[in-house]
Parts: sequence; structure tokens; C-alpha cells
Amino acid sequence: MTMSEEIKATKVIDARGSFCPGPLMELIRAYKEAKTGDVISVYSTDNGTKKDAPVWIKKSGNELVGIFDREGYIEIVMKKTR
Amino acid sequence: MLPVKNVVILGDGAAGTIMANKLRMLTDVKETRISVVGNSTKHYFKPDGVHIPFKLKRYQNSVKPTRFLFNYGVEYIHDEVILIDVPHRTVQLKSGKGLSYDYLIIATGDRFDYNEIPGYIGEAKHFYDLPHTLELGNSLDSFKGGKIVIGPSSIPYQCPPAPYEFTFLLDQYLRGRGIRDKTEIHYIFPLNRVFTMQNVSDFIEKLFEERDIITHTLFNVESVNGLNKNVTSIEGESVSYDLLILVPPHKGQTVITKSELAGPGGYIDVDRHKLNYKDYDDVFAIGDATNLPISKAGATAHFESEYLANRLAHELSGNVYDEDYNGEIACTTITGAGRAMTLYFSYERPPRAIFQSKMDYLLKWTSADTYFSAMLRGIM
Repeated sequence: MTMSEEIKATKVIDARGSFCPGPLMELIRAYKEAKTGDVISVYSTDNGTKKDAPVWIKKSGNELVGIFDREGYIEIVMKKTR
Repeated sequence: MLPVKNVVILGDGAAGTIMANKLRMLTDVKETRISVVGNSTKHYFKPDGVHIPFKLKRYQNSVKPTRFLFNYGVEYIHDEVILIDVPHRTVQLKSGKGLSYDYLIIATGDRFDYNEIPGYIGEAKHFYDLPHTLELGNSLDSFKGGKIVIGPSSIPYQCPPAPYEFTFLLDQYLRGRGIRDKTEIHYIFPLNRVFTMQNVSDFIEKLFEERDIITHTLFNVESVNGLNKNVTSIEGESVSYDLLILVPPHKGQTVITKSELAGPGGYIDVDRHKLNYKDYDDVFAIGDATNLPISKAGATAHFESEYLANRLAHELSGNVYDEDYNGEIACTTITGAGRAMTLYFSYERPPRAIFQSKMDYLLKWTSADTYFSAMLRGIM
């Protein structure tokens, strides 16, 4: 079971194969459309996302639920808190 | 004799024009019909938008009549595409006409979505089309000092270096007018750096520091308040301004969404190495219309067209073309007074040699002439 399944992601973005800053911009796009309390999960094969996404989540005042190494990709989960 | 093949190109901007002219040079007019659909009357060389507001160039030299830019043997249809029917290999035009194709190349570009940012219209300026560029020039003429905020509102946007190029020329312009010491320049950027590529960003950031340009990173614009004169990011930061120069949000064209070809943002999902749309081997997209992870720029359209024209010329003559497009681009960008740098990069390889030179500036300065006389014509 993945963390996003445990927490029940409201929205899953599969940005695998997209290069930086694509996955982060996809996350921001989803954030704009989400409601407060929604959980957003993004899959990425770009290592830059591991660094960029958490910084953005923190700066934007939202909650980083976790960063998970999956088979061949990473999963970053955030909760919209504002 | 083989039946004549129909190649239809949608869009008369850089991508559509270069593609048509390059393909025409590689194919026989008796065997391949090339038609371009577009509704512009004038073709504007957008990179000059960073020069025109400072009166460094006259806009009249950056504009040519669209219909004169196609090589002999290219049919130009002045019309607007309203629907693309990929399963039935047809496109519908606003005039009521329909076109069928053997190969379709979508080069419809992108559009500005001002409504995404409340308060943008009537308050923010930009230099991404000619009317707004001229308007910005007037605003700068009457600017007497204060706080200028400049940058892209979000990603993606056309010509990623253009905001920093404009900022360097703005700094130079204000020094020339003797009001730089009365002006703060604030540069905003959506990522946690000042450019998409880290090593280029590091280089630009140093130049910004040397010129006292203040940066605000992780700044994705949410709204503009014209009464209080401040711009706010979705990250919760607010910056006041006297003059706001903001690259508008970009989206794919509505016809792409209406035709059910759009992915996120209204852009077309194409194979990054073959440039074809999904599983279709007769539908391609190039230029700003795609979701490819590279710059939305004329340089990209140029390199994509080079690849695709070669590929289609082979296929139209019954041969197999097994080479891939690797995202290769060369792009010359201004870094200050009389200086520029040329960045060479691809999907997998970021720019390596990053240095400024006067020769690169000369290359940039003359690029409109090169563009209209050679690049658009498909001879380079």
C-alpha cells in the first residue's frame, strides 16, 4: 500500500517522463484547482522534483505529507492547508 | 505516377512558416501539396520586443506581411481552423471550407490567458506582442523613478530568457537616463531560482547582484491589485510596484481543446523524439503548441522543423527515417550592454559553456534580418 492510498489522495498527478520544472508546475496547477484539505500526490522521474517540490510546498504554507521512493520514480504527497 | 500527397500545416507563425518552406525545398511540387492555414496579416519577430520599448530598434523593421513569407509552391490559406478531426483526417475552417490531409502538422502556437490573474488587465504591462510592447515603451518614457517589478507570472511562457534579457536592458536604459539610482528593480520568478536551468540561473543571479537587481523566487502570481499597486503570489508574498511588467499566463489554443487534442494547459501531448501526436503517424505538432519539456521559442520551432521536414521528406518519397529529435536547441540571449551568450542544450544535456561575448550580441542584434531572410525561408 502506498502512502497516498493510506491518506487517500484527492488528486494524483502522473508527471513521470516530464523534466524539471514540469512536475512542479503540474503540482502548482493542481494546487490552484484544489480545495483546502485536499491531498495531492505527484509522481516524478526527475530528481530535481525531490528538491524543488518540498521547497515550494513549505514556501506556500502547505503541508508536506511525505516523499516516497517508488520503483523507478518518486512520489511526493502534499496537503493543501491554505 | 503516385497520387499527390496533401500536407496541411496549421499556423502561420514561426513554426508553421519554417516548416512549410523547409519541406517545400525537400519535396517535389508535383508529388506533394503543401498548404498552410493561418489568419495573421503581419508576421512579427517577437524577440525584438526586448529592444523596441527602449527605442533600440524600430518596430517597423520587425514586421513583414505574412503572405510574402512563403516560398514558391506553398499554398497559403488565409483562414482560421475551428476544428481538427484527427480520426477522419480533416480540418474545418471558419469560412466553412474543409481540408483533408495525408499529413497534418499542428503549429497553432499558444495564447495569453489574462483572465487567470485577477487585476492583470489594464494594470500590468508586457512585451510579448507588438501592441503591448509599444504601450510599455510609452510607460517607460513617462517613468521618472520608483519601483519596477518584472518577471513571468507562471511557467510555461514563450522565450524563457526574455524576462531576464529585458531586465538587463531596463537596467542599462535607466542608467542611461540617469534615474537608476531612483529606481528599484525587483525580479520575480516562479521557481526557487531565477531561471529554469540551474547553471544558467546561477550565472544570471550573479549578474543581477552586480546590477543591484532584487530577486523574489518561488513567486507564482495569483493577483494584481491596481488600487494598492501590489502583486501577490499564490505562495503568499506581496510586492508593491510603481510599474508592473508581467509576462501573462500562457495556455494552448482553444481549438486544440475543442478538438479534444489537449493535455494539461491546453498543450498537445507529442512524442518527444518523433514529434507525432499519440499513436498517430500522420499527425505532428511543433512549436509552442506542444507540451515538450523545452523552451517555447522560435529557436525550438526552427530545430523541430529541421527534424520534421527531413523526416516527412523521407516518408513522402517512400523511405524510412529512423533518426530521433533530441531536443537540441541553440539560443542567443542578451546579458547586458553589448553582451550576450549563446546557450546550446537538449533534453538530456543542459548548457555547458556559459560565457558572454560581443560577438553573440552582434548575432542577437542582427537576428531579425537573419530570421526573415534565411531562417523563415528554410535555408538555414
